[in-house]
Amino acid sequence: MALLEVRHLSKRWPTGRLALDDVSFEVRQGEILGLLGHNGAGKSTIMGVTLGMVRPDVGEVRIGGRSVQTDRGGALRQIGAIYEAAVFYDYLSGWQNLRAICALSGWWDEAEVKRVVQMVNLTRAIQQKTSTYSHGMRQRLALAQALLPQPKILLLDEPTDGLDPEGIREFRELILHLRQHDGMTILLNSHLLAEVEQMCDRCVILKDGRKVFEGPVPSQEKTRRVFQLETGDMGLAREVMNRAGATMDKHGVVEVPLNMEPHELVAALVNGGVQVNAWLPHRRTLEELYMGLSSKS
Amino acid sequence: MTLFFQQWYGELMKLFARRRTYIGFGAFLALQILVFLLVKKFGLPTRRVIAAAGESADYYLSALTVASFVVGVSVFLLGALFLSLVAGDIVAKEAEDGHLRLLLARPVSRFRLLLLKYLTCCCYAVFLIQFLVVSAFILGLALHGWGGGYFVLVPEVSVVAFHDWSTGLERYFFSAVFLGFSMTAIGSIAFFLSCFRIKPAAATIGALTYVLVDFILRTSGFMEDYQHLLITKHMAVWGRLLAETIDWPLVVRGYTVIFAVNISLFTLGYAVFESRDLKS
Repeated sequence: MALLEVRHLSKRWPTGRLALDDVSFEVRQGEILGLLGHNGAGKSTIMGVTLGMVRPDVGEVRIGGRSVQTDRGGALRQIGAIYEAAVFYDYLSGWQNLRAICALSGWWDEAEVKRVVQMVNLTRAIQQKTSTYSHGMRQRLALAQALLPQPKILLLDEPTDGLDPEGIREFRELILHLRQHDGMTILLNSHLLAEVEQMCDRCVILKDGRKVFEGPVPSQEKTRRVFQLETGDMGLAREVMNRAGATMDKHGVVEVPLNMEPHELVAALVNGGVQVNAWLPHRRTLEELYMGLSSKS
Repeated sequence: MTLFFQQWYGELMKLFARRRTYIGFGAFLALQILVFLLVKKFGLPTRRVIAAAGESADYYLSALTVASFVVGVSVFLLGALFLSLVAGDIVAKEAEDGHLRLLLARPVSRFRLLLLKYLTCCCYAVFLIQFLVVSAFILGLALHGWGGGYFVLVPEVSVVAFHDWSTGLERYFFSAVFLGFSMTAIGSIAFFLSCFRIKPAAATIGALTYVLVDFILRTSGFMEDYQHLLITKHMAVWGRLLAETIDWPLVVRGYTVIFAVNISLFTLGYAVFESRDLKS
């Protein structure tokens, strides 16, 4: 079931630049969906529209069946978000910040706040002013505020930006813990391919405001059939592949068409006079997919 | 309603937890002490007016009279500045710092958020003026002690009055509440400008400039026939509450205009804010 639906979003900024061009996708319950793209691809704009801070020219976002554009309050009650940089009122303590932010949701449950603060490992520092917080602590406080009060879906806008490797790892483990133990649905916006690859089930790739890919993260996919061919004559091999209706890149990575079995392709190669040195199952990386899409466009 | 007050509590907590908020209070206190020292050394300029009216200057130069003079000077010099500072910051600074994005990720409408901020501004205006009035009175007591008369001179609304101590006390504190309401107009101008995509300082300077130009136009006499169009004219109506006989129709008219201006500025500010995309 889709918990978050992005439907035909288009947005042009007053400067005339196209930010989004008919983007649609959905986030299913319990999954982590990665939103990938270069700077300015439209990732944060989608987040902004989802939170009702950016008005789309066309289209809408629905959260749990409620439209953000017509029923913002109802839709946003189901969401927790880290949107853009984690900024807080530096003259307030972490606790006071949470209190002021939660007041806008009309909610305050001290026991639940303490539980979440403990989960994000901020118990010791929560009474300190946030001006004394490190970047990592701010991100954890941002996550705490997003988790209060118990959202169904989390929107994370480049949450590990600026964190050191330990911080990134800690944050990633927290997010995976949330999904595993609480069944949290997460939309993760990032330009870090490794992060998306390690955390997400599926991803959407944007380029210049357009969706260019939606599907499983390559390392997670179970249905695709990709093989690595090793041969001394790549040119001949490519010719045979083309005749057989398969595609092969310059590194010998072959994608088997749906209407064929892998052994049929091998037979075609051998019959075509190609010396097959090796034919190994190949796991495509997200980077390969991303770079492939970039070079195509 | 409970939700509204919970949310408002959050806004007030943010405002009054900020050290910067208290700069206004500190500056007012420092200015008041300075004016009191000057009054102590050189005497009150109204002494001659009291004597010319055939009244006893020693009786009417009381804690209330001196406090009233000090309040007038302080509000004129600093009131507009600090109210504009706070009101000019309240939306523009939060937008600039990214706090608004944090707040609007919550299920709260932009209208509700702005209303909370606007009411917080108004609250600050009234609170700041009450602080000024009470501290001036305490300093006046330190200078002249309890008792005496209360001489009032508010040239903006042509009010000259002589009260005894108990009536004077009533009028002094009663009019102070209305002075606070008057000052919300300056807060509203700064708040309105703050709703645009501009720097907080620009909102503050814009509001101060407007009030200053309005004040100059009123006092210069160029707009004698159009004084009803000037906001400072209506803001000065609080002085009528110090007259021996209060002209209620004029007071009501003045505050109706201020109320209407406040509502209009809030509505326009909201319209501007509602149409904005909040993204860095």
